[in-house]
Amino acid sequence: MERFRKFNRRDVLIGSGAIALTASTIDGSFINHAAAASPKQGGKLVYVGIMNSKHKSPEKAMHPYTGIEVRTNVTYDRLTWVDEDLGVQPQLATGWRAVEEDQTVWEVDIRQGVKFHDGRDMTTNDVVASYNMHRDPKLGTSFSKKLLESVEKVGPDKIRFHLTSPNSELPWWMAEYRQAIMPADDLDKMGYSGNGTGPFKFADIDVGRRVIYEANENYWDEGPYLEQLEVVTASGADPANAYLSGQIDAILQADPAIVGYLGSRDDTEISTAKSGDQILMVLPKYEGSVFADVRVREALSLALDREAIVRIAYGGYGWASNDSHMHAASPDFLPRKPLRDVAKAKKLLAEAGYPNGIELPTFHYAPYTPELGRVFQVAAESVKEAGITMPIEEHPLSGYRKWRVEDKEKTRKHRFAMGPVGSRNSAANLYRMARPTYNESGYWHPSAEGDEYIALYKKAMLTGDTAERNAIYQEMQRLLQREVPGVFLTGRKELIVHRNTVHGLNSHAQYWNATFNKVWRD
Amino acid sequence: MLMALVRRLTLSFLILFMVAVFVFVATEVLPGDAIDVYLSADDLAVMSDADIEEMRQRFGLDRPAWVRFWEWFSGAIFGDLGKTLIDGNDIVDLIWHPLLNSVILGAIITAFTLPTAFIIGSITGYKRGSRTDGAVSTLTLVGYSIPDFVIGNVLIILFAVWLAFFPAVILVFSNASTSELLAVSLLPALTVIIGHVAHQSRLLRAGFIETMNSEFVERARLSGLPEKWVVFRHALPASIIPMLNSLALYISGLLAGLVVVERVFGYPGLGRELIEAVARREVNVVQGITFWSASFIIFMNLLADFAIIALDPRVRSAKSA
Repeated sequence: MERFRKFNRRDVLIGSGAIALTASTIDGSFINHAAAASPKQGGKLVYVGIMNSKHKSPEKAMHPYTGIEVRTNVTYDRLTWVDEDLGVQPQLATGWRAVEEDQTVWEVDIRQGVKFHDGRDMTTNDVVASYNMHRDPKLGTSFSKKLLESVEKVGPDKIRFHLTSPNSELPWWMAEYRQAIMPADDLDKMGYSGNGTGPFKFADIDVGRRVIYEANENYWDEGPYLEQLEVVTASGADPANAYLSGQIDAILQADPAIVGYLGSRDDTEISTAKSGDQILMVLPKYEGSVFADVRVREALSLALDREAIVRIAYGGYGWASNDSHMHAASPDFLPRKPLRDVAKAKKLLAEAGYPNGIELPTFHYAPYTPELGRVFQVAAESVKEAGITMPIEEHPLSGYRKWRVEDKEKTRKHRFAMGPVGSRNSAANLYRMARPTYNESGYWHPSAEGDEYIALYKKAMLTGDTAERNAIYQEMQRLLQREVPGVFLTGRKELIVHRNTVHGLNSHAQYWNATFNKVWRD
Repeated sequence: MLMALVRRLTLSFLILFMVAVFVFVATEVLPGDAIDVYLSADDLAVMSDADIEEMRQRFGLDRPAWVRFWEWFSGAIFGDLGKTLIDGNDIVDLIWHPLLNSVILGAIITAFTLPTAFIIGSITGYKRGSRTDGAVSTLTLVGYSIPDFVIGNVLIILFAVWLAFFPAVILVFSNASTSELLAVSLLPALTVIIGHVAHQSRLLRAGFIETMNSEFVERARLSGLPEKWVVFRHALPASIIPMLNSLALYISGLLAGLVVVERVFGYPGLGRELIEAVARREVNVVQGITFWSASFIIFMNLLADFAIIALDPRVRSAKSA
């Protein structure tokens, strides 16, 4: 009868996919964390995870670029790891330093005594080969191809990176999810065996749907405590249904709309990161666009009620952006102050020639995440108080990006529309507004302020001292808040829903940096 | 007869071609392509337009639509469904296990649906106007009217979330054994069975009532044949004909039901594969699945035609005349 009593209207809403309706009941009071206790060995964890289901190839299923669930630190390790506070921690590297003052040459000490899943020792040769693959013009990742000039072995436990341009945040870049360390081989063969140094090794795969891992008994770091780890793909109402029916133990990247309800259960805990992916309103600044006037841009930003959006659309599991790509978990994040000032917004509009308010062009968005419709509905309502009318229109996800930025090369005309923004380190975040040909800035460049911004970015990349670099980042964010090349609205906090019998599973602002080696269960 | 068969096969091929063209055009007019779906926001943050265009060329998506279509279709008619756009995997390999899984689910559904519908339809038809007929007819009308996805979600809430008797989401591997699939297929099968039993039983009931009122049944009764003989030997075989006539509809309805139910339950079948392929804009996979599905429907329609000829003396005599 216990089960019977628990069946209520909310179950129906969850089961029928009407999960959005529960958002208004969430107040964040369910956030809880596992009490510290001694880890226990054994058991299995099944979770709905972040799967790359774009590829259906068995050959690519274990590759760090295209495999499923390799974005978290399960099978592969990188040289570094970014912790929950976004500090850099050693992983397969034990130390690093820039050996040239201009930050273009870096030396990295490689951990010794690490074994791949097949029992082979990991050496500096493997690290060099891995990075040669990452920077290979045909095989590598776009970012590595652009940044990495060469990599060489300079000792039995030391390698050296030569960069194409200064980069004072190389240690964070080494933690990116694709920078996996694999056994040396012909470059075009590397990565397909799934042979990494991570805490778990591949046991069975249903491409794009489900992976079963087994513990790596030779793991170099703490754990793994679990004997088996299983990840499944599910979307819509499926994760909640599977959780409620007892099929799975955890949901990574949980939808904020279901978290409140699931968190209210006696057997459930919620792990909450400080931030997560956010959303950007790209402002077209071509001649004739209302957003060519900085006063209109700033008025829009000041008119938005971000706190209401966080409360209503994210059910409390969101955060207010600061008009930059920076995210709240970062120690370099500079909050926007004031976050909202309707009187100043009205004054700015009047100065810009809109004393009776302004009707903006239609704002377009695509449903990258379920809550976005709610986010923009609240946003459009909130700006009305400052006399701003902002019609909104949802566009299908398929083909959205191309449609949003159309014929930009010729006219730089593009739509007033949304762009998704992931969580990255400060340099990678702030770089996105420094790219002259990049649509996200709404073609802020060339401009005097844009040039100033680029100069600050270049200076930061030359600055090895963390405190000095932080000061530059603060200045860059102040400039963005003054010039408002784009309006950054709000973001969702990364959330993990899990049973209270599961411990050590922590949500991370960079979801791909969640770890499983310290996870254990009662 | 031979000419009729040739004519029918020619028409079937034409229908298949038109289905292929329609599906291709439908997927082609959608905004974006497989590259747009494939590239993540992270990729786009570091890729230039030239990089994206180079990628589009590498996957052959810059070629004219009709070239891509003809390349696929000319292979498909010989059984080669081509390769996926992004990974270059053989599509037959990709959809083989999902196809088998869907066939298993479809077979379970059909094995329950047709006998159950037959029993319900004939009883309600024979007892037309009775309380049993009224009650069952109301229930079948309700069952027929509720969409599969609603039934599926209600069953999930009742039997998976609330009672925890069955899994809410099917987590078996795509290449799971038949016994593994059977163990988890009850709710998905039941979801489709409810609507289909309701539909088929109503068809049989209508056919049975019409047959029982026909002259040849009247004549059989007047000739002194026992009622059981009249019903089982004469009325029931003739009553099946409306069901057989709607066999193509049943098959297409079943396939549509499978698409919905596989999505609702995460069943690793062809319907789920189709939805994922549409989401990934893998046009060749979408084409391949619809091509096979259309072929199956046409084949079953042909079988139904032959069955009607075998069962219905009126059609037989018209053909021979």
